[in-house]
Amino acid sequence: MLTEGGEAPTDGEARTALGQFALRFRVSGVAAFLLLLGVAFTLLRPQFIAPGNLSAIISNAAILAIVAAAQAVVLITRNLDVSVGSIMGFSAYLTADFAARHPHVGPALVLMPLTIGGALGALNGVLVAYGRVSPLIATLGTMSVYRGLTYVYARGQEITASRLPAWMNALPEVRIAGVRLLVVIAIIVVCLLAAFLRFYPLGRRMYAVGSNVSASAFFGLRTQRVVLFAYILGAVLCGLAGFLYAVRVGTVTVVLASGWELTSLAAAVIGGVSVAGGSGNVIGAALGAVVLATIDNGLVLLGIPEFWRMFIQGAAIVLAATADMIIAGQVRNALRARRRIARAAP
Amino acid sequence: MIRKLPQWELTLVVLTLAAGAWSAYLSPYYLSLDQIAYSTRQFVFPGILAIGLAVVVILGEIDISLASTLAFGAVLFSKFSAFGAPIWIATPLVTAACAALGTLNGVLVARFGLPSLAVTLGTMGAFRGLAFILGSETGYTGFDDSYLYVGSEQAFGLVPVSFILFLVIALAVSVLMRRTVFGRRCYAIGLNKEASWAAGIDVARIKVMAYALAGALAGVAALVWIGQYGSARGDNADGAILFVVTAVVLGGLDINGGRGAILGVVLALFLLGTMRNGMGLANVAGPIQTIVLGGLLIVGVLRPILFQGAVRGYRFAFSRQAVASN
Repeated sequence: MLTEGGEAPTDGEARTALGQFALRFRVSGVAAFLLLLGVAFTLLRPQFIAPGNLSAIISNAAILAIVAAAQAVVLITRNLDVSVGSIMGFSAYLTADFAARHPHVGPALVLMPLTIGGALGALNGVLVAYGRVSPLIATLGTMSVYRGLTYVYARGQEITASRLPAWMNALPEVRIAGVRLLVVIAIIVVCLLAAFLRFYPLGRRMYAVGSNVSASAFFGLRTQRVVLFAYILGAVLCGLAGFLYAVRVGTVTVVLASGWELTSLAAAVIGGVSVAGGSGNVIGAALGAVVLATIDNGLVLLGIPEFWRMFIQGAAIVLAATADMIIAGQVRNALRARRRIARAAP
Repeated sequence: MIRKLPQWELTLVVLTLAAGAWSAYLSPYYLSLDQIAYSTRQFVFPGILAIGLAVVVILGEIDISLASTLAFGAVLFSKFSAFGAPIWIATPLVTAACAALGTLNGVLVARFGLPSLAVTLGTMGAFRGLAFILGSETGYTGFDDSYLYVGSEQAFGLVPVSFILFLVIALAVSVLMRRTVFGRRCYAIGLNKEASWAAGIDVARIKVMAYALAGALAGVAALVWIGQYGSARGDNADGAILFVVTAVVLGGLDINGGRGAILGVVLALFLLGTMRNGMGLANVAGPIQTIVLGGLLIVGVLRPILFQGAVRGYRFAFSRQAVASN
């Protein structure tokens, strides 16, 4: 017993340090991976590093970063939203249709996709939190329902850029200090969201619920309400992203943003947001979006067929999940070691 | 606590008959034996996927990569066909290759302890990418007739061969889950993984086997697919997973594992197939069919809660009545 007690602290300290390192490594690991990708692509194709190309990557990543952050909010509560693409499409189409019919409505129109998104997210949240439906099943169902409703509403029509009011068409070219407005909005949204999750009680509660639902409930958190809120918050952001995407592509069709559920999940998981809940942050998810945009861009520059992207994206998700699992194991060992130190100390 | 409803299978039968009657009312073309037999083709390939998924779901895991495995299998069949290999060589090899993909899922989930949703989400993209890489962006349509037989021909000039294949598979897997050690262990693991492990069951091995079985069935479904559509391309069966998951959930399987039977899945497929057939004949637009499918999926999972609510309401009314009569 004595020898065990004498040995444990040294072993334990090393383990604690390793655990802390592992956690930090996961967040900075995404950035390091991004850097590695950048260096590799630059060596292979020097035009990759051109300012024009880099700004194109960032612009492409901006909207995905918002959706990935939205997905991350839901993932942190140990849930999942595969209806993000349909929410984007639904709110974007309805908003664009309204804008085409009522061109005199100014930029206050932005509130419309946010509200629609929030309502759709509330339905998801009610099903998952109060209906206790598995999040995958519930949002798989609403994914097809929302997309189907968009089809029914559109009746095979699409909204071309010429029918949209002038201010919407001008929006993608607006620059603030040389940076596209889309990028500025994405950065502001992601930073605000990160601060909210980090410093606000409700944000901390989301992590708590995601780490351990029953413990949070015993602690006195209204877990169902927290989950509902996460779904609403995520869907509001999806509404915003749908609007920005519609503005960016100009022509709004019913299939807008279909397939984004997968891309957003990939971005979030690559960015270190664990599917098992309670860990990761939205900055990582946004970085994950940049990683995906960089891979896309690099593959195009290298002339590699587009379908390799699917393979690489899928493999990246599995790799990221493996990394998360290893890190979670390290952290668990570190916590156990710390407890052992605490027990050995007095 | 209310356990699994024994009446659920009966409910599905009644709903199927109702859907059939409704279809007959909507369309004069519905009520003919030829038409109904022929329409079963529509749900055979997702049906085979659903039976594979059911085994995985009973274990308490999920596999959303099955449609991608099917695409990989279809492209692999096209390679064998282009090479001129006879079908009786191609089928076992493709099935084995798809089982290998399933095994990969299983190893990642069971041996590495990764969340099955994340793994199969990743492999869903990866396998489809693999199918595209193996084939090309242009589809292959030059299949030898022997490859198309299962998916396109009808036995006795009436029943599609693929439907008979589906029934055989359903029966075999049902027996496997009910009567064999493997099947009973699957249920045990789905109900309580830790207890099963403590009882000496090799949980990881059973899980890998279940994923391999689901993958192999996806390979068989690929054979049905190429017969039915006559082409193989990387995006085959894209989006079919919604129908597959709906069938499994509607069939009364608990998504958390351990409860439900293959029979329920088969009946749910009949219901979905009847509805799809009827709506198709009645010219119901595709998007509305999608809404109905999604709505059914949600109702399917809300079923236990709705039922409990109904029972509670009934008991409440009953007790009130009893109190009043006293």
